[in-house]
Amino acid sequence: MSNIIRLVWFDLKTELKPPVWIITEWVVFLVQVSVYGAMISQLVTGIDNYNRFFAVGLVIMITFGLASHIGRHFVEHAHEGRLPHLLSLPISRSKLFLTIALQGGVELALMLAVPLTVTLLIIGNLTWISVVACVLTLFCLGFGVAGVMLALSFIAFKSSDLYTAIVTGLSIIMIRFSTVLYPLLFLPPQYTSAAVFSPLTYGSDLVRFILGFDPSYLLHPLYAVSVLVALSVSTLGLGLILVQRLVEGVKSA
Amino acid sequence: MYAVETKNLTKRYGKTWALKNLDFTIDENEIMVLLGPNGSGKTTLLLILATVLKPTSGQAKVMGIDVSTQSTRVRQIMGITFQESRGFWRHKPADILRFHASVCGVPKTKRDTLIEHILKDLELWDARNKLFMHLSGGQAKRLEVAKVFVHRPKFAILDEPSSQVDLRGKRKIWAQILKMREEGSTILIATNEVREAEYLADRVTVLDKGKSVVCDTVRQLKDSIAGGDVVELQIDTSDAQNLKRALSQIEGTVKITNSSANQFKAHVSMAESWVPRMTDVCYRSKARILSIRVTEPSLDDVFLHFTGRTLRRTSDE
Repeated sequence: MSNIIRLVWFDLKTELKPPVWIITEWVVFLVQVSVYGAMISQLVTGIDNYNRFFAVGLVIMITFGLASHIGRHFVEHAHEGRLPHLLSLPISRSKLFLTIALQGGVELALMLAVPLTVTLLIIGNLTWISVVACVLTLFCLGFGVAGVMLALSFIAFKSSDLYTAIVTGLSIIMIRFSTVLYPLLFLPPQYTSAAVFSPLTYGSDLVRFILGFDPSYLLHPLYAVSVLVALSVSTLGLGLILVQRLVEGVKSA
Repeated sequence: MYAVETKNLTKRYGKTWALKNLDFTIDENEIMVLLGPNGSGKTTLLLILATVLKPTSGQAKVMGIDVSTQSTRVRQIMGITFQESRGFWRHKPADILRFHASVCGVPKTKRDTLIEHILKDLELWDARNKLFMHLSGGQAKRLEVAKVFVHRPKFAILDEPSSQVDLRGKRKIWAQILKMREEGSTILIATNEVREAEYLADRVTVLDKGKSVVCDTVRQLKDSIAGGDVVELQIDTSDAQNLKRALSQIEGTVKITNSSANQFKAHVSMAESWVPRMTDVCYRSKARILSIRVTEPSLDDVFLHFTGRTLRRTSDE
């Protein structure tokens, strides 16, 4: 266990000295909510106080962005030659992957600390239960998205440019065709059919349900929980198997 | 028990054979040098033994432990330095070594002293608090090998340990490697630097196209080349032709040429036993030896002898 903590801290401490990227993300979130969200909520009439809806959407987008980054980071490690070093350390593969997951989890927790607190304050639902339920949902979504990126990493071993292009395109589609910024109920039918394939739809609707949004324009929470759990377990599992096979079968140094 | 043993070890990347049915052993407390050009399979073999890569087929064991089925146990007794040190751009050398030492189980009480000693010895002490990305190529390479010197594992793998390093740095790295062997480590080095191999190797394995071409001590490999030693003689004699004939009859002589009446060039096997016989012949022929110069074959010549190509030329291909 101590080696896992050492590995996580070794990487994390350089990111936190100084924690520019985290603070930047917090500032961007605060500006988005206090300026853009506040303005746009006056124009949106279909949803009561759109800024609250928007704040949750931003939290989901931060989760998605960071999870994608973690998935991509792993692939970059392989290309930079750092992965062989990690693979040669005297720890088991499962512990190594646990380390990567844990590091992602800690980064996500740090990144979301302020946005989630502000969102809960805006919504007025700052209770232990809501915090724990939201964090669990976001972690589940984060693992699912990181798993998707890992599962796609086999493309990166052929061409990192192609991988970047696909991941960027996929990110745009997954955010736009989802309920991150608008409820499923308001989407045109052709968009709705695409939105049900985006994991962000389930993540954002579940978080909104936990925070007490009107359930009439959200997906059923049990449905969302099932999809998110299935997604995170399957894609993360598939991603790890693929990466293990690729990394140990391909000369990556 | 061998420290390292491979049987029919094969690694394929698509249609390319990186290793082809390699049988290979290293004795405990031995320095084995893998000599071969780029693409000969050296790094692939090292990465398989370090459990970073999985073999396509065959078996490899380190200290009797199978690298495929018990990879974590193998990693607990070995340490590796890679050809290139990359990926820790935002870390400092001292931090990298401290992290590596702690993960590899170097006792906390010894850690700082050991790191300071190695950093000073490899002339990295002044750069210990620089970011990795600001190190020169030679410093980054020295830092990479420093990881193994701090760890001092039972089985150490070093991939081109002194490439990009100046001569002074090379000597320091080589001295540390020899010290590790004295302390009981078994060491496997991959290189295409002939001088490094000659300086360090207890035995040399010549790899070419994923296969072991020959494996022996440096001395034996050199001696195995018939006529590999070159003896250049300057002899004061009144009858060069007769002397040449007499010299060519000495056991171990492969070829003798004379560029002038008193300049001879003899290609012989094992010059150390040929030269005393030659002095005897000269004494009996009343010829006076003015100078002797003996040149033994290099490992490059050994590679040429066994593969038909030179190391340098093959590396450039």
